[in-house]
Amino acid sequence: MKGKNRKKLDPQATWPRLIPEEEREEILRYLENRFGIPPEIFNSYEFLATAKNYWLFVRTPHLRALEKLRIQTAGLLFLRKVSGYLKPTTAALQRFGVYARRGILDLDRYTLDRLRLEKKIPFTCSLEPGYVILRCEGKIWGCGLYLPEKLISYLP
Amino acid sequence: MAETPETADQYFERYREIIPDYPAFLEALSQPLPLYFRLNTLKVRDPSPVMEGLSRQGFRVEPVPQVPWFFRVEPREFSLGNTEEYYLGLIYPMTLSSSLPVYALEPRPGELILDLCAAPGSKTTQIAQHTEDQAVIVANDRRLDRITALVANLRRLGIACVVTTVYRGEQYPLEVSFDKVLVDAPCSGEGRYRRGYEGELLFQKEGRTNLSGIQKGLIVRAYDLLKPGGILVYSTCTINPEENEAVVDYLLRKRQAELLDWEAPLPSHPGLTEWAGRPFHPHLVKAKRFYAHEIEAVGFFVAKLRRVA
Ligand SMILES: C[S@@+](CC[C@H](N)C(=O)[O-])C[C@H]1O[C@@H](n2cnc3c(N)ncnc32)[C@H](O)[C@@H]1O
Repeated sequence: MKGKNRKKLDPQATWPRLIPEEEREEILRYLENRFGIPPEIFNSYEFLATAKNYWLFVRTPHLRALEKLRIQTAGLLFLRKVSGYLKPTTAALQRFGVYARRGILDLDRYTLDRLRLEKKIPFTCSLEPGYVILRCEGKIWGCGLYLPEKLISYLP
Repeated sequence: MAETPETADQYFERYREIIPDYPAFLEALSQPLPLYFRLNTLKVRDPSPVMEGLSRQGFRVEPVPQVPWFFRVEPREFSLGNTEEYYLGLIYPMTLSSSLPVYALEPRPGELILDLCAAPGSKTTQIAQHTEDQAVIVANDRRLDRITALVANLRRLGIACVVTTVYRGEQYPLEVSFDKVLVDAPCSGEGRYRRGYEGELLFQKEGRTNLSGIQKGLIVRAYDLLKPGGILVYSTCTINPEENEAVVDYLLRKRQAELLDWEAPLPSHPGLTEWAGRPFHPHLVKAKRFYAHEIEAVGFFVAKLRRVA
């Protein structure tokens, strides 16, 4: 599995923008509504934005100074904007999913293995359709998409 | 006429006088390197599920009493990189002594820290973990491919406090000043040598390039990147005094820096104040040497300094 989820870095990357308060509220509201993750969890973090992505970065008075550096990445890729919806990354859920109280799908080992192998499996559950936290034997694996009668994996 | 290659025993003979219990050192070189990992406390606090998971996969796992969150694993020939615990970012495999520079650095939340030679990120991620993801860390490496590997590790461990850059360390832009800078320098890697295993030829191959020159360039730039009073930690995984004390001595002659004491969780020996007939600054005794056979891990050198002016 080592190295599999490496992505090409963009050598032309520039600093993402710091988002206005309303945009932050929108993100926090989404995380709370969908997953029950309390907004306070992110009090010491900023969200930075690039065209289609939000990055989580530690809140710091040094941000302006750091912008003088030519960077490759800043922070953790946290959410993507996918056709008008916010989609949490697997990395975000693996780290902060422990604070979630809903939107969690507990899979048995057999179903998880099958999902990882086939990427999309027939599936029915009582959750609202949308992005879900995939959990198995108490461990959080990452992000899935539940649609009526099917489950899609976004695990790397 | 082809030279007969030097054997390890012939090579290390030059250090007979400085390595404590030299026969035990030679003896240890026949064992493969012990395997360790660090528990990623940003994701799990309780090691039991990780230990149980790994033992189900055939590993024997023991906590290291002296170094919190480190675990020793057998069989050491197995790879942890294929385990579920690795994939989920619960563990970071790294040698035990690789934790030492971060002990010297004593990173704190809110500090602005530069890791000048950071890839693949064992120390960057350890600093992040140590500060609960609340320091601001700039992780740099001159090689983009190695920074790509570092970014994959940050993602795997779920770390949000790191900015990555790709500069030649000697030419790092001076626009930003840091509270602390770590120089985990490229080195000949003598400390990781084991007969017939990884690292076999490294010291012979790279020993011929001017590593000491590169290291001097890196340590001086690291100093120049510090705020006044800032902390610099210089480390290598080599025994060679030319890459260790001589590099720190060079900085002491070029800049106003002072060596500091620090507390290490593993047994060490003082830095040398003389090598090959050349004296070094007497304060070099405050640097620490860690030998492979005494710590059951890769041999290390760590010096902690403060920028005075
Ligand atoms: C000992 S390794 C660093 C290990 C890393 N600190 C860790 O703990 O995972 C040295 C690193 O220095 C990088 N390097 C070599 N020359 C450099 C230079 N001139 N400037 C910056 N980085 C350099 C190498 O690419 C290599 O990744």
